[in-house]
Amino acid sequence: MNSFAVQVQVPTGRIRLADVRRRALLVAQLRVLLIGAMFAALAAGALLRIAYLGLVQPAPAERSMAQALLPSRGEITDRNGLPLARAFPAYALWYNPGAMDDGGPPLVRSPKEVAAALKAIFPDVDEFALARQLASGKAGYLRRRVLPEDANKVYAIGELALELPRETDRHYPQGTMAAHVLGYVDEDGLGHVGMEAALDDRLRDPARRGEPVALSIDARVQGALEDELKRGMLAVDAVGAAGIVLDVDTGEVLALASLPEFDPNKMDAEGQKYVFNKVTNQVYELGSTFKPLTVAAAIDAGTVTDLSHRYSARPFPIGGFTISDSHDLGASLNVPEILIHSSNVGTAHVVDELGAARLKQVMADLGMNERPYIELPARGFPIWASGDWPRLRAMTVGYGHGIAVTPLHLASAYAAMVNGGIWRPATLQRVEPGQANRGRRVFRASTSARMNQLLRMIAVYGTGRNANAPGFRVGGKTGSAEKPGSGGYNKSSLVSTFAAAFPMDRPRYVVIAMLDEPKAVAASSFQRTAAWNTAPIVGRLVPRIGPLLGVLPDETRDIDLSDLQPLVGDDGSEG
Amino acid sequence: MTPHSRIRRMGWFAALAVCALLYLTLHLKVHAVRSEVIRSERQIVALEQQKLLLETEFQTRSNQLQLEEWNRVDFGYTAPTAAQFLENERQLASFGSPRAPGAPEPIRVASASGEAPAYPKLVSPLTGKPIDEELVEPERRANLSGVRLAEGTMRIPLGAVIGSSQ
Repeated sequence: MNSFAVQVQVPTGRIRLADVRRRALLVAQLRVLLIGAMFAALAAGALLRIAYLGLVQPAPAERSMAQALLPSRGEITDRNGLPLARAFPAYALWYNPGAMDDGGPPLVRSPKEVAAALKAIFPDVDEFALARQLASGKAGYLRRRVLPEDANKVYAIGELALELPRETDRHYPQGTMAAHVLGYVDEDGLGHVGMEAALDDRLRDPARRGEPVALSIDARVQGALEDELKRGMLAVDAVGAAGIVLDVDTGEVLALASLPEFDPNKMDAEGQKYVFNKVTNQVYELGSTFKPLTVAAAIDAGTVTDLSHRYSARPFPIGGFTISDSHDLGASLNVPEILIHSSNVGTAHVVDELGAARLKQVMADLGMNERPYIELPARGFPIWASGDWPRLRAMTVGYGHGIAVTPLHLASAYAAMVNGGIWRPATLQRVEPGQANRGRRVFRASTSARMNQLLRMIAVYGTGRNANAPGFRVGGKTGSAEKPGSGGYNKSSLVSTFAAAFPMDRPRYVVIAMLDEPKAVAASSFQRTAAWNTAPIVGRLVPRIGPLLGVLPDETRDIDLSDLQPLVGDDGSEG
Repeated sequence: MTPHSRIRRMGWFAALAVCALLYLTLHLKVHAVRSEVIRSERQIVALEQQKLLLETEFQTRSNQLQLEEWNRVDFGYTAPTAAQFLENERQLASFGSPRAPGAPEPIRVASASGEAPAYPKLVSPLTGKPIDEELVEPERRANLSGVRLAEGTMRIPLGAVIGSSQ
């Protein structure tokens, strides 16, 4: 348009021409400006877009992948990285009545037919309840967990309203193994009972849940412990069993079992009955297993300097009560014989010389007056007499009565007794080499060395002979305590414990095995005491776990007993 | 407006159009690559989940309880005994029997691996500097170098040591 006007005016004269040229120039400049502005706007737009992408919008692709691969709950592994609990993409069966979206009934076939088809896939469902739920037309879960092959069968029914959403679920590949250590996760995603509860925040924290948490548990050792405990428990028809394997130098728990167990993959009312942890939560009078601790306290205090000193073994009347042994052990016993024959009277005399205050102090140093140190939320408080202990109380504590602690307390105390005298708190988290807790000194190293000899003697000559696995240099003490019932102790229901350590020439692991109310059956030679039911468990367990833990059997090697051997005669006589 | 300026104007439009076209192509290309990346990532996620599923299934089927059951029913393996372990070569050697009188000499082959350390040089007691060995023992040096060439490194000296010890 403009150009046409200019052309028309050209012939009209010089002044006009100058005017036209000026206007044309103006127009041209304007257009250049316009185009320049457009380019500038485009450049600014591109820049803004770049700035938006770079600053405002977070990189979408990267985030989606990281999020998709981040588990909904952190993984728990054993000390070697084997997964014990993981978030697992599983199928659920969800009823969505709105899926058809055609205004008609939610199901193609009748609810009864669909329920029958589902019953054919899942034989355990209640067909009538299912039919009622399908007929009600309310959305909801029909089943929380469905196996992939069952999911395919549900698709084959051909009902759109039956949806199979993928949901991340907590799965325990090892089944019931280490159930009390791990605990379980409820439907709201909260951890209960074991490390699932103790590490709940850590496992749910989006910043940290991508990294698996390593426990101190060794799955192979845990499996062996549970297997042997279960076999021992069933053989003598006990109502329960507990066991623990503890590293004496770091306090790491390598295995911890409480039987009967529950299945964390399938928590129901039946499982809820067994969530109580016998190792960390139940306190027992652990009986004679306390005698080595008492003797160690006396050696440490200097009241026992001569192990050949003989103490009377006759029934010991004190304060209207008579301390006696299960059978006659002769007129007198020396210290190794007291332990080998497990004499209550002899131990009472040792305590009498030691003094109640000193014994109480050692027991407190061993952590017997507080809840056990471990990460698990369920920890039992010991039955611990406060104030000054009278003579009788100290004597009964000396042989493991009048004080009730958890098996974990006993394991930590034994670890301190055999490792050179350092007490350390037990832990369920893997400890890196050199990072072990410094602990506190309870016994002198010389006392610990002497106790290693004495414990080995019990396994070689005394009540622990059934635990003496060849080549593993096991040492340990039996304990059979009557359970307190209404109106005094119950003669026929016992708690049998065997507290052991191996190899005694350089102790590395403490093993505790405990049976609750074992029966006198043929498998235990019609005996109820620990020598016949729990000691054999340890004797079978140690050869299974020793090589896994780097302790190789060696018949040519043992702790030197030659200085104490003359004190107990040639064979140590009867156990 | 001159034809010149018209051409120039069209040129501007053309340049703009080309730029816009290039930008559009680039934009589309970027989007294509990005969606490809997202698709690959989805594939990775799906494969990772499948891996997790299979791994978990394998671990569930091979859990300690199951292995124990198989062992009890099918295999019957027991824990190894002390006799099944060897701690070191000394223990292995202890299983051998001593040589009987009149048995043939064992064949011994000496060899050395790697570089031997430098032989200490003879130092002049006056100057404290190493002496040229050829000045001291010209014949032996010539002999040795000949042997080395013929027999290979270090065979002769070691053989001589064994010979002298017997």
